[in-house]
Amino acid sequence: MGPGLLGYIVRRVLWAIPVLFSISVIVFFMLRLAPGDPVDAILGQRYQEEQARVLKEKYGYDKPVYVQYYKYMKNLAQGDLGVSTRHREFTASEVIWPKVKVSSQLSFAALVISFGLGIPVGVYAALARGTFIDPLTISFWLAIEAVPTFVLSTFAIWFFALKLDVVNLSYHGVYSANMILPVMVMALPGVAGIARFMRASVISVLGEDYIRTARAKGLKEQTVVISHITRNALLPMITVIGLSLPGIISGSLFVETSFGIPGIARESLAAVLAPDYDVILALVLFGSTLFVFANVVIDIVYGFVDPRVRVGAARE
Amino acid sequence: MSGQRVSSEAASLLDVHSEAAVRPPPRFRTVRELLRKKLAFLAILYLSIFYVAGLAAPLVAPYGLNEQQLTVEARRQAPSSEHLFGTDALGRDMFTRVLYSARTTIFFTLAVVLTGGLVLGLGLGLLAGYRGGWVDLAIMRVGETLSGLPTLLLMLAITAAFRARISSWSFWLEDHTFLGADAKTFVKFAIITAAAVPFSWLGTSRIVRSQVLAIREQSYVTAAESMGASTSRILWRHILPGVMPLYLVGLSSGMAGIAGAEVALSYLGLGIDAPAASFGNLIGDTNGTRFFEQYPYLLIAAAGPVVLFFFSWNLLGDALVDVFDRRQNMRR
Repeated sequence: MGPGLLGYIVRRVLWAIPVLFSISVIVFFMLRLAPGDPVDAILGQRYQEEQARVLKEKYGYDKPVYVQYYKYMKNLAQGDLGVSTRHREFTASEVIWPKVKVSSQLSFAALVISFGLGIPVGVYAALARGTFIDPLTISFWLAIEAVPTFVLSTFAIWFFALKLDVVNLSYHGVYSANMILPVMVMALPGVAGIARFMRASVISVLGEDYIRTARAKGLKEQTVVISHITRNALLPMITVIGLSLPGIISGSLFVETSFGIPGIARESLAAVLAPDYDVILALVLFGSTLFVFANVVIDIVYGFVDPRVRVGAARE
Repeated sequence: MSGQRVSSEAASLLDVHSEAAVRPPPRFRTVRELLRKKLAFLAILYLSIFYVAGLAAPLVAPYGLNEQQLTVEARRQAPSSEHLFGTDALGRDMFTRVLYSARTTIFFTLAVVLTGGLVLGLGLGLLAGYRGGWVDLAIMRVGETLSGLPTLLLMLAITAAFRARISSWSFWLEDHTFLGADAKTFVKFAIITAAAVPFSWLGTSRIVRSQVLAIREQSYVTAAESMGASTSRILWRHILPGVMPLYLVGLSSGMAGIAGAEVALSYLGLGIDAPAASFGNLIGDTNGTRFFEQYPYLLIAAAGPVVLFFFSWNLLGDALVDVFDRRQNMRR
């Protein structure tokens, strides 16, 4: 890692700050200026003015919005995400983190399956280019992608739980066999996109000189496919992997509602409907931070994996 | 640059042998191309039926959208010659409701594509690519900021926030415009469109910008510039035609996602709901494992048409990408 790359990384990380700052401003003002306010959310529709005044003073809602924003950011810097108006006794972070943990573990498992299937399918389709197998494979996965998750999970539950009676759907935590079905429903629609990307990537690699060289050396076809074609075609996949990480915030919403999983996507829907101001804000900020840092990490990983990027960054 | 081109030309001369080895016999290639074209053809066929039937819904529909039959026998009927797709819990004809839902999907995608895709996506992409400098920087940074937000969550937040105002806005519209009783549906429609548009231009503008950057350096553009052609003329006559193919490819791949946003929001009860019809609330009314066990035809009737709609756009997008890639390769 040369000084060029280090400077590049520092620039990327520094750039993340104004991006996150503007996101926080937009969302904070949007939430505060939208109709309704946190006091209505806490007290319901009928309440006495006195009660409302006390609450407003307590949480600072009587101050101008920019003062509220300043206070919020000051608390945020100390790790305080505010209070949940939906679960009154809990702070926003107490509401969010346990559920983020559930969702991120499930989403991670789903991502592993998506990529584990999508990458080989893409390679297979690309190598079968020119036969009818290629469009048939891709269309099969596109067909699965086309079914909305809330319909797919109904089919899955009906078939596996009612018809075959092979699965139990009660929720006993993340690490249980009951989670196989929801994770599959989460993972399978994602395969098509990954397979298509991988297919295009493999096809672009197939024409490279080093593939010809490898074949000319008389290497086994298996070796050429695995260590020459697939390895190089995987490089652009880093972007796709990185960009699918922030999906854990709302990506599993319908799976969580269909299977009764206490995850963050369900919480975020409830928070939006309540509305639970500080929780929404915390979720959006968390999601955006994840996205911005995924981007930075992608760049850094590229720098390590691909020497051409490293040289380019140093030259810049 | 030119050195690279020469070497790739030399490579393509050398390529003849290895190409023959990699490519399967032409017999299969024809089958594949036929199948590929057949799939794309079927997709186009289905989409044209969907669009014609959806747009002509008031003319084609065999029953009224909210014509109810509340007798026990009339409710949740299985498909028959009288009711092609059966009837729902209120005895309303499912086929009619599906047709009107198609109409909702068509209008929604059209509204989002025209505002977010065309005006913002194409317009900002052209501007960023051609102007460059701080305009480019500003547009791309705003795009980056927006794409950093969790989209579905924010769309939910926007719709939920505005829904509180639905009745006051729709009463005003009822009194002051020609919309009359449709005002409420119109307001709901406007809200979900407004929630979808900010997120719909990011991908397209990025594609358009990169295309513009490539085309801007072509000799015919610099020639037009040196002849003193105006910026708008250069954009319209010289750059836009080159950008269009890839833009359309991106659009057709993104179509299912745009339509899916409306279906998801309506499914959650935050988009279009009764008395108007949308695939989202149709599915919401017929979804559920027990319900599906008892009345499988209702969920299939509600979800089938829109699943095929998504599938067709995806197939079409995929086929277009392929055709476009091949053309690029041939040009090279």
